[in-house]
Amino acid sequence: MSSSLISAVCGGVMNVIVVLAVAPLCQGVLRKVTARIQSRQGPPLWQPYFDLLKLLGKEDIESGVSPAMQRFTVYLSLAAVLTVACFVPMGFGAPMDGAGDVYLLIYLLTLCGVCTLLAGLAAGSTYSLIGISREMMSMIALEPLFAVALVVGAMHVGSFRLNAVLNGSVYASSGISWSGLIMLGVIVLSFQAFVQRVPFDISEAETELMEGPLMEYSGPKLALFKYAQMSKLVIYSALFVALFVPWGSGLWYPLGWVLFWAKVFVLVLLVTVVAATHARYRIDQAIRYFAGLLAVAFLALILASYGY
Amino acid sequence: MIARDRLEQLRAKFGSAIQRADLPGDDRLYVFVEPATVKEICRYIFRDLDARYVISIGADDRPYSGQFLVAHDFAFDKDHVLCSVLAYLAADNPQIDSITEAVPAANWAEREMRDLVGIVPVGHRYLKRLVLPDGWPEDVHPLRKDIRWDHVPKDFDDEREFKFDNPPEGCTVVPFGPFHPTLDEPSHFRLYVEGEMVRGCEYRGFMAHRGIEKMAESVLGYNDIPMLAERICGICGCVHSVAYVQAVESAVALKPPPRAEYVRTIMLEIERLHSHLLWVGLACHIVGFDTLFMQSFRIREPVMWIAEKITGNRKTYALCVVGGVRWDITPELKIELRHVLDKLEAEWRAVVAAVSGDKNIQKRTVGVGVADKDLVKNAGLVGPVARAAGVGIDCRRDHPYAAYDRVEFDVITAEGCDVWSRVVVRMTEVFESIKIIRQCLEKMEDGPLQLAMKDELPVGRLGLSSVEAPRGESHHFVITGENNRPRRWRVRAPTYQNLQAIPAMIKDQQIADMTISLGSIDPCFSCTDRLETIDLRSGSTRVWSQKELWNLTRAPKASP
Amino acid sequence: MSAVSKLKEALVCLKAGRVTLPYPPQGHPVPPNFRGRPVFDATKCTGCAGCANNCPAREILVFDVCQEIRILKYLGRRCTYCGRCADVCPEKAITMSQEFETGTNQIRDMQQSSELFMSTCQRCGRCFTEPTVLEQLKLKGYRQDDLANERWIFCSRAYLENDAVVDDIRIELD
Repeated sequence: MSSSLISAVCGGVMNVIVVLAVAPLCQGVLRKVTARIQSRQGPPLWQPYFDLLKLLGKEDIESGVSPAMQRFTVYLSLAAVLTVACFVPMGFGAPMDGAGDVYLLIYLLTLCGVCTLLAGLAAGSTYSLIGISREMMSMIALEPLFAVALVVGAMHVGSFRLNAVLNGSVYASSGISWSGLIMLGVIVLSFQAFVQRVPFDISEAETELMEGPLMEYSGPKLALFKYAQMSKLVIYSALFVALFVPWGSGLWYPLGWVLFWAKVFVLVLLVTVVAATHARYRIDQAIRYFAGLLAVAFLALILASYGY
Repeated sequence: MIARDRLEQLRAKFGSAIQRADLPGDDRLYVFVEPATVKEICRYIFRDLDARYVISIGADDRPYSGQFLVAHDFAFDKDHVLCSVLAYLAADNPQIDSITEAVPAANWAEREMRDLVGIVPVGHRYLKRLVLPDGWPEDVHPLRKDIRWDHVPKDFDDEREFKFDNPPEGCTVVPFGPFHPTLDEPSHFRLYVEGEMVRGCEYRGFMAHRGIEKMAESVLGYNDIPMLAERICGICGCVHSVAYVQAVESAVALKPPPRAEYVRTIMLEIERLHSHLLWVGLACHIVGFDTLFMQSFRIREPVMWIAEKITGNRKTYALCVVGGVRWDITPELKIELRHVLDKLEAEWRAVVAAVSGDKNIQKRTVGVGVADKDLVKNAGLVGPVARAAGVGIDCRRDHPYAAYDRVEFDVITAEGCDVWSRVVVRMTEVFESIKIIRQCLEKMEDGPLQLAMKDELPVGRLGLSSVEAPRGESHHFVITGENNRPRRWRVRAPTYQNLQAIPAMIKDQQIADMTISLGSIDPCFSCTDRLETIDLRSGSTRVWSQKELWNLTRAPKASP
Repeated sequence: MSAVSKLKEALVCLKAGRVTLPYPPQGHPVPPNFRGRPVFDATKCTGCAGCANNCPAREILVFDVCQEIRILKYLGRRCTYCGRCADVCPEKAITMSQEFETGTNQIRDMQQSSELFMSTCQRCGRCFTEPTVLEQLKLKGYRQDDLANERWIFCSRAYLENDAVVDDIRIELD
């Protein structure tokens, strides 16, 4: 095996381990800060680790329509998210840069969303079906936004390679990068939806749908699903940082690495504050909102194709 | 117009159909009529005289008069009159014409009459079982006097299920409840959904029916019942206990001492404060805004603490006895209560100022769960639901009780008819409550807290009482009786009427709006249902099948 | 505008700070008149059964084993903590304590049983049937005062606290 292959695989595995280790901590920070905003004490920062351990130890009750499919969906969901982790630069370059390009990233991100649909379908109860119909509707309007951002970046640097694109490429235009700034605004305004937090956690609205697609999942299956969701927060934050605020990542280790995680942390805080201060939107209101953002994103795409 | 004038109007129109009329005062009217004319008289009162429908009551009066009794209660809000149209029915064939054709709001009350007493409303357009469980045999009516309060019917059918109507074309059935995170109490709404829009709904409730009225009529005494009444509801307990003792006092023409009336008023308003603060938090939680939920509860907590200091408990005040109250508000407590109110007012003003401009919440609540003036009139809606539709009814002003005739306050209305208007009405009523408590604290007179009652209460008297609960009008009907207990006690909670309008409010709206529409009437299912089953478990651990659990709960036990 | 409202709401939250109490090490103090678990003092009880007759939940039972022994048992299952027993007791033998953390898996922990010796009439040997102790006090043969030393032997303290002092008799409590 060539050394580049070995280093790529090691880098990917390192990324996966880091994501797995850090994701519950980010969730813990989110819960703690939310609690402090709500004048409460909140759970300890390590609580999500305990929750996952507890769930993994519980009895696995097979209560959905097709339990085999449920198990498969859960593994697929976590696997998809962790595969994305292999492609995201986390303080260093993207480890598996040569193994795929931006298109693969887009499809993997979509696969994460599709896993929720499969999950609800496998569970088969009325509420989970309503949940996945909401998820489907919002995915149609939502997933293209990130895809457009990546494509805008690719257009500017003229290449689809991950290391080239995931390096602040949206700003690399021949002048004031209007398309970059527009895409920054669009993604900031829709970031809550990507990480499935209020005001856009519509498919899993607890008070309306009793957790929607996750309804028939308990014990280890639920643990892995929750792990996938927590990891999504980290992945998306990392992608956002790489695409839109990459400055400082080039610094020598460990400064660049620390800076990267500091930026991710700030983003998690921002997600928390917005989630704590907003009410949940209805699906039709959310779709209209995303559709508007999508129109603006296409505008940015057109500008990018002209070099702005 | 006072009660006498209304009686003259009825006499002028119906003449000989009126057999007897009781006028205990200017504000109460009891008219005894021929059963065949009940429907016409009710139509006249509801439509022509524009009264508000309150409740229909069925009673088994056979041990005393040999007949069944039916009462339809109405309220003339502007005249401050509560009126009851009563008719005696033959014991061998208790039937009466249903008034639902003229008064659609009587839907549930007549079904309950049929389930519990066995009086059949002839011509009711939807005579399905309402209160009794599905397996209960057809001919056993629990509120009849020949049925014991702990009677277990032999032929209870485990397997029988409730027959729901068929869903309309193209709709799927989405079951909402009995287990749902939003509902605090079990109830079942069977939604017929097309995509995300709700096209219809069927309600099956009364899963927490506890047999309160039967217990009050069989085993408890006059002064035991307030302890039971305050447990009808987890939030508005004081309201029910005050309404009950007021009904008894009205029946026997007793007036509690002024200080007791002030104490009752203060405790009722404290209850309104904590209920409205809780509700605003709950509404925010339903739309996903947990932060405001936490903040509302934090602001509300000192109200619970002061209630605990005054009465000894945060919520079950154990306040009332017939003829007075048990706890006093000492000068130290007055000072402390004033502090609590000042702090509460300051914090709540900040919250109201913040929420009023919040477009995010308004997007979820404006235009949702609409109940307009026609629905309010036809379904007999009460409380903030009615006031948010512009109908200014409030029992504190319309049927003054306790010390409300001695304090000044505004009745808050809004014009939006939707959930947001209800939010605004409830938020603003908090300030009115604070105003009322402050006035009471100043005007309170010294004096005894309870009447010295030396004689037994007279028997066979009718009493009505309407109290403004945080959710609307809570109406109690009492017939005093022998052995230190009432012959009949009927509790009509505000949610009883408001729930009947839910299918109309959620029609053609989205599922996501269903929970907030339901939440906006501030449902209190415990008030609405009124039975309980006692579940005993042996010390050993074993998985019980549903059948075994059911059999265990139904095995006759040595009382109690 | 919505952003301004959100800021105002955030201000409300931040001004409040953290309000969580470190329960169970330290909870919110209960007020002195809190109606917790009733505690029955058998040494003060005279067996009048006023508590049993006035309990709304019918949780206090009375049983006469024989002429002289009466058992008053508080079952504690459905107790509503209303405090009517404490209000009615003429001897103030019942206090509503401040305990509310009464969770247990043995119902026996909640039950309180008083075995009472009921005095019989010195003349006829039967127990009195007068409704209250106050009524009993007025009957002949209920007290045995010490005339030689002019001592009034009076067992019940409750009434003494509220009564005016009687002028020329020295009262000693036994």
